[in-house]
Amino acid sequence: MNRNISKVAVLGSGIMGSGIACHFANIGVEVLLLDIAPKELNDKEIKQGLTLSDNIVKNRIVTEMFNRCIKSKPSPIFSKKFTNRVTLGNFDDDFAKIKDYDWIIEVVVERLDIKKLIFEKVDKFRREGTIVSSNTSGIPIKMMNEGRSDDFQKHFAVTHFFNPPRYLNLFEVVPGPNCNEEITEFLMNYGEKFLGKTSVLAKDTPAFIGNRIGVFGIQSILHEVDKGNYSIEEIDKLTGPVIGRPKSATFRTADVVGLDIMVHVAQGIYDNCKKDENREIFKLPDFVNNMISKNLLGSKTKKGFYKKITGDDGKSKILSIDLKTLEYKDQEKVKFETLEKAKKSKNKIDKYSVLISGDDKASNFYRSNFSKMFSYIQHRIPEIADHIYQIDDAVKTGFGWSDGPFEIWDYVGISKGVELMKSAGLDVADWIVDMKSNGNDSFYKNERGFITYYDKSTKKYVQKPGQESYIYLKNLPSEKSIWSNEECSINDLGDGIINIEFKSKMNSINQNILQGLNKGIDLAEEKYNGVVIGNEGQHFSAGADISMIFLMAVEQEYDELHYAMKLFQDTMMRMRYSSIPVVAAPHGYTFGGACELCLHCDRVIAHAETYVGLVEVGVGLIPGGGGTKEMTLRASDQFRKNDVEVNLLQEYFLNIGMGKVSTSGYEGFDLNYFKKDKDQVILNKKNQINFAKQTALNLHEAGYTKPIERTDIKVLGQQALGMFYVGADSMLAGGYISDHDKNIAKKIANVISGGNLSQQSFVSEQYLLELEREAFLSLCGERKTLERIQYMLKNGKPLRN
Amino acid sequence: MNDAYIIKGYRTAVGKAPRGFFRFKRPDELAAETIEFMINQIDGFDKSTIDDVIVGNAMPEAEQGLNVGRLISLMGLKIDDVPGVTVNRYCASGLETIAIAAAKIKSGMADCIIAGGVESMSFIPMGGYKPVPGYNIVSKGNEDYYWGMGLTAEQVAKDYNIKREDQDIFAFNSHQKALKAIEEDRFKNQIVPIKIDEIYLDNNNKKQTRSFNCNIDEGPRKDTSIEALNKLRPVFANNGSVTAGNSSQMSDGAAFLMIVSENYLKKLNIDPVARFVNYSVAGLPPKIMGVGPVKAIPKVLEKSNLKLNDIELIELNEAFASQSLAVLNELNINNDIVNVNGGAIALGHPLGCTGAKLSIQLIDEMQKRNLKYGMVTMCVGTGQGAAGIFEIL
Repeated sequence: MNRNISKVAVLGSGIMGSGIACHFANIGVEVLLLDIAPKELNDKEIKQGLTLSDNIVKNRIVTEMFNRCIKSKPSPIFSKKFTNRVTLGNFDDDFAKIKDYDWIIEVVVERLDIKKLIFEKVDKFRREGTIVSSNTSGIPIKMMNEGRSDDFQKHFAVTHFFNPPRYLNLFEVVPGPNCNEEITEFLMNYGEKFLGKTSVLAKDTPAFIGNRIGVFGIQSILHEVDKGNYSIEEIDKLTGPVIGRPKSATFRTADVVGLDIMVHVAQGIYDNCKKDENREIFKLPDFVNNMISKNLLGSKTKKGFYKKITGDDGKSKILSIDLKTLEYKDQEKVKFETLEKAKKSKNKIDKYSVLISGDDKASNFYRSNFSKMFSYIQHRIPEIADHIYQIDDAVKTGFGWSDGPFEIWDYVGISKGVELMKSAGLDVADWIVDMKSNGNDSFYKNERGFITYYDKSTKKYVQKPGQESYIYLKNLPSEKSIWSNEECSINDLGDGIINIEFKSKMNSINQNILQGLNKGIDLAEEKYNGVVIGNEGQHFSAGADISMIFLMAVEQEYDELHYAMKLFQDTMMRMRYSSIPVVAAPHGYTFGGACELCLHCDRVIAHAETYVGLVEVGVGLIPGGGGTKEMTLRASDQFRKNDVEVNLLQEYFLNIGMGKVSTSGYEGFDLNYFKKDKDQVILNKKNQINFAKQTALNLHEAGYTKPIERTDIKVLGQQALGMFYVGADSMLAGGYISDHDKNIAKKIANVISGGNLSQQSFVSEQYLLELEREAFLSLCGERKTLERIQYMLKNGKPLRN
Repeated sequence: MNDAYIIKGYRTAVGKAPRGFFRFKRPDELAAETIEFMINQIDGFDKSTIDDVIVGNAMPEAEQGLNVGRLISLMGLKIDDVPGVTVNRYCASGLETIAIAAAKIKSGMADCIIAGGVESMSFIPMGGYKPVPGYNIVSKGNEDYYWGMGLTAEQVAKDYNIKREDQDIFAFNSHQKALKAIEEDRFKNQIVPIKIDEIYLDNNNKKQTRSFNCNIDEGPRKDTSIEALNKLRPVFANNGSVTAGNSSQMSDGAAFLMIVSENYLKKLNIDPVARFVNYSVAGLPPKIMGVGPVKAIPKVLEKSNLKLNDIELIELNEAFASQSLAVLNELNINNDIVNVNGGAIALGHPLGCTGAKLSIQLIDEMQKRNLKYGMVTMCVGTGQGAAGIFEIL
């Protein structure tokens, strides 16, 4: 029987509770968020003459917590309007309402006695058959289960989210001892398909998988630092993007998580994992205890390993802590020869080889750090997980690492890893020795397009589950490749659908990509049924390659620039005007030219975390690949008889003029970059390419006919131009924009109004594209635009001049 | 030439827009009820002898569109005989209608006119629903013809060197004066009590009716302080000095006066309250519309053969603290006789109504103080100023 989740109750509205409530709201679930009613009135309430029995007082705590959460950055909610899917209440008045809810999630304070009281109440009010789960990060399930009804126990599990729930993708599912198999399966599937997470099945061991391994990593570094071997700055340089981890690396991450939370988890492991061979690692160095007693907990107390201050020049500046004195000082600049060398490596195997073979401090760190980690994880199978991929998945998605520890071991090489461990005096587990002696020289393999992992218990390579229904481009076997150049490849996805994949830097759209797009459409028109434009990079695409534009503009090669523009526009137009359906699958940054590409596709299947926008003004340009044309067209399609059309057009104008970027896929609809009834958001990123493929196939099977170019776009001419000119001038006079911004705004206005026509008129797409090109080229001739492009190329940030 | 006399004048309390007590009260109804109240104050008055109803309005569209003046004459007088007209000189509209009425009476074209103004800023946004600046004007660099008023206030602050601190002190004083006046019931005689019945949906989607009376100005804030005003952020310009706190409030309100000839006074056998002496308007660059009174005041004084010293009480519309201070400084006006009961920063500025409302406040206060000459003056959008002089009889 299908289990449908339409209503979820979240008990406890702290950072995690509110964040979880927001994420369920994000996916369209009706949420009831409850917390305790206050026991005392505050000054404001006394002043207003309220009493403890007034509803507004009773819901004060939950209201304050939830409001703080939705104001936090980055936002926990896809679109502000989704917050109305959350109803707030308190334990006194609203607990009984949980009987109408399909799933009850407990997120109260980490104290067994309190949790037990809550579960007793849940048991009393819940409807039989509903799921109950706890977000505990370590309290054993059998203790929480104690005294509960059979039906409760059959439906009880831990569902462990990571903070912030919207952004961190790990969803650990830990079934209780009496939990129905059906519930475990349901939760694993729900986490992936609906919540868009990576579900990892964990065992009921302290801190489960993610925190056990992640905190081990942090703790072992804390001890290194305690010994005085490395500074905070050095560690953060060594444990950041260079080894595929977030920029916040180790200590900035610790500040965000909160030292108290981290310590709590470490302490829990120390207390409850008495047999852990590395138990001492989880003991806290003195300086950590000192920091906690001085309330240096990180972001929440505004002081941790780092502290942000406003310098004498009025600019903000980040200081780092001196662990001996616990005073803050200027950060030291850190440089390592090994890291400089590693930058030049062609692939990960090369890079890791460079990292561990130098003779400087950096290489020493990696040799020591990796060997400790390898040693630790080898002993965790099957204690905390049956399979190696569960450890990798948990650490990758819970801590934002691009590679898990077993994957890193594969890059280093099994033998090399064993060698490092031995020379560090660490033992090598029997199963590793065994695996190696049987000639198995990696933990993972790619077999016919599917990833297999070494299974410790059967001593065989087994296919990692969940791949059958998804398409992973990076795993596709070479025979699926149809065409490629240096930065673009075309692959056969089966069923007559092909995929065009960008592989350039930041996936920016350059000559090679344009060639690939045209080639893909040509090929598809010739012998396939449809096209998907998708990739598995960090971001879909940062937009058109502006370095090319810059060079031509500086050399004043305007004819060539005009030709390049025309090629770009023609390519975008082919996305829509070809005889096969074209589906885009954006995710992450989808800026400028990439947004224009999506605007022209037959369908967009956007990941929920898509940041889409026409950001060209940032580099002193206007969208010249049909983006301005498309905003004009979309506004025109919205005009209704007797509407004040110019006000509607203004929304589209401001999108471009202010370079608005959506903060989620859903907001892409609010900003009219995506279109209702056509485009769609998908939560599960792993299924994005596959779903885009199905969408293309559906369009083909429904009978796809090449659309006819539009000639009925209503433009408002002078009526709109006048208003936009005044708006731009007012912004300038108010000091909100520069002279050049005003200049650019007038160029956008001219295109989006269809030029200075005396009256409203109906125009063609080609007419608007020509206006776009004119405006674009004239801006390329302006010094201030070139300065902006140059600044962006150099600094990766827009210049306001 | 005849003289024009004021015999009655009433205004509504001023509500805050867009969320104040008149937020759902249609402006035409508000005006009609004000006029009806005024007529009822004269025993045995024959409404059909009124020659015209002249209604000032700054954004005459939607609920206050379609020549709302005529609709108001029908609704307020409840007979067909008396016509109605709408007049727009933005913030001077309510004073302009008095001037037109006086001019018609002086020239013998009319004997009895109801003049005033109404504005609902809750219903109609500033600038109206469809602003369409002329392309041929703005493309020649005259975008400032269409600037928002806040931007002009910033320009005045810049050009006349008006400091943020002084603007905030000015705003604070406006509130203090207004609060004192309300406490002393100084507006009581002027105000038409309006009863509101609002039909709305409660939290359970049940239809409810909420009824209340409005007879006290809603704008003045007891909780304001110079510190609180100092904390507000500029709203019209980056690094500017004009804030929501030192600007006039958005408001809803109506105000009307009855202006008659000498013959009509005799016929009615009633004593006049005041005589409308004279009125001038003047133009200046739209960017600095705020200093309009600097040009209009000398002009009207000269026409009236009076000196600034002869004027004993002034209502200077506080569109913005910056422009008010610039006007006071430029003309060297004695601050003690200006806005003695607070101004638009505290009491609100229902655009087209303001001129009539200030006239009623001025006349009432002068009567109380037993003064002779008083003035109502204001700046007007797109670079204009207006000033009118009243003599108490």
